[in-house]
Amino acid sequence: MKTKNRGLWIALFTIPCMILFAIVYAAPIVTVLYTSLCDYTTFSGPVFTGIKNFAAIFSDTDFLVSIKNTLVWVVLQSTFHVSLGLLMALVLRRKPKGWKIVRTAYMIPNIIPTAATGVMFTLLLNPSFGVVKPFLDFLGVDYNMVPNLFGNSRYAFWTVTFTWILYSGFNTIIFLAEMGAVDKEIYEAATVDGARPWQVDRYITLPLMKNIFGTCVTLASVAMVSQFDIIYMTTKGGPGNSTLNLPIYLYKAATLENNYGKANAVGVVQIALGLVLVLLIQRLFQERKELKEGK
Amino acid sequence: MKKTSKATVITAGIFKYLFMIFFVLIAVGPIVWAFISSFKSYSEINSSALSWPSSFKLDNYKAAFQFAPIAKYFLNSVIIVGCSVLVTVALVAMCSYIISRFDFKLKILIVLLISASLMLPAQAISQPLFAIFQKLGIFDTKLGLVVVYSAMGIPMSFFVMTSYYKTISTALEESAYIDGATFLQTFIHIILPLAKPGLVTIALLEFINTWNEFYFALMLTSGDKARTVPIALNYYMGTFANNYSALFAAVVMTVLPTIAVFIILQRQVMESLTAGAVKG
Repeated sequence: MKTKNRGLWIALFTIPCMILFAIVYAAPIVTVLYTSLCDYTTFSGPVFTGIKNFAAIFSDTDFLVSIKNTLVWVVLQSTFHVSLGLLMALVLRRKPKGWKIVRTAYMIPNIIPTAATGVMFTLLLNPSFGVVKPFLDFLGVDYNMVPNLFGNSRYAFWTVTFTWILYSGFNTIIFLAEMGAVDKEIYEAATVDGARPWQVDRYITLPLMKNIFGTCVTLASVAMVSQFDIIYMTTKGGPGNSTLNLPIYLYKAATLENNYGKANAVGVVQIALGLVLVLLIQRLFQERKELKEGK
Repeated sequence: MKKTSKATVITAGIFKYLFMIFFVLIAVGPIVWAFISSFKSYSEINSSALSWPSSFKLDNYKAAFQFAPIAKYFLNSVIIVGCSVLVTVALVAMCSYIISRFDFKLKILIVLLISASLMLPAQAISQPLFAIFQKLGIFDTKLGLVVVYSAMGIPMSFFVMTSYYKTISTALEESAYIDGATFLQTFIHIILPLAKPGLVTIALLEFINTWNEFYFALMLTSGDKARTVPIALNYYMGTFANNYSALFAAVVMTVLPTIAVFIILQRQVMESLTAGAVKG
């Protein structure tokens, strides 16, 4: 487009954005990359030492556990939880009675502070005054002691995993929006041809959801690589290292051990993991698409 | 054609509703439970998890206000979130307008930088930010959080806004230029009014994300001066380890504002979140 002083306006309109970017993203990323190779603590400035920090974290069991947990959560969240969101969207798509209430209710955990959700689950599952005891009584289960779901390493991992079911509601509204955009005539034609409801979903709706499914999987994976709030509020990575993931491990290295070099080495691993996952998922969904198109 | 039997239809219906009810229960159950419990006395909470409060007492709310400056945290949140929304919307409105309308040398670089930061985990850059903010003297200040939150809001809003601008026809601007309007006049009087729905979308997105943000608020504040509401909860968890009845009140006060905004602007919020996810 042509206008007077074109270059000046381009500069004036983009530079403020870029300055903010330089402070909050560019400078920290360069620092992370460099200081991950340094001896660097609260008390001493960065001194170059090579890959010492990386050697240290990769021989630390807690770090390996935190990578394993992060990956397990990525896989669970991007398969099981996204599918759950899709299933809910398929149910709500036909607008059964009360569907709006379900959609709104399922959305609420996605818009309240995650820290608050963490506190609520801590209270809810508290062994002495939470709902676990009345629930077990109701089922008539025999128990010596009410299980402490966040405080016992046998249950903690799965309890934390369970709290994330709440966030598949976000996928539901994304799928619902996409389903709403499907041409209604396709459905009408299918019904006229005598297709049963499940056949319509299986052969018409689901194939059309492939791209957006890829988007949801990407979003879920990225979210799980930086999942912090709920774990911090409920278990802080414990008991032991049972719910430790990369963000919590990094946070502890930076604030409890005051070992910034180590924290930033973990940061580099976290960034790399996120990148690899995104590229991998994109590759996966692209190849599928190409196969379908017979290329 | 074989008809699906009536029994199958009914069973499917029952399963469908059980499925729906289960998710409503786990989604809002904890909130409702916390809400009811927040009116119970300490001994009532301890004696039974599922009982109704004997009377609706506000003692827990009083205690929550007494033990921590929760009103101050709320004010901090309002100021920080308000400023971040304004800054993000202003910067993105300008930057993505340029990207959607003009071709220039560094354009690809800008788009590339912004899309790369979409996937950046917050924790990975938090220690350097902490160091930089201490050097700049904005550690533990509201300004510091506004800076981070505004920047964090840019990537997603940028893509939502760029695609919104592309839906606005360039014919209007071209005729404005022919009539002798300057670039700034055209942008302010013609483009911005047309772009309002897009701006509302990104403002809501930024509001929800920053109101709920926890990690940077935890890393970049150290005192009451700049602590936000979600961080207040962390503080309460520490102080009220034994007096959890006040914790119920605190958590209810934290979630109610966002739920209220969501219920009032439901359609808008859902559209914003979907746009943010799909276009970002």
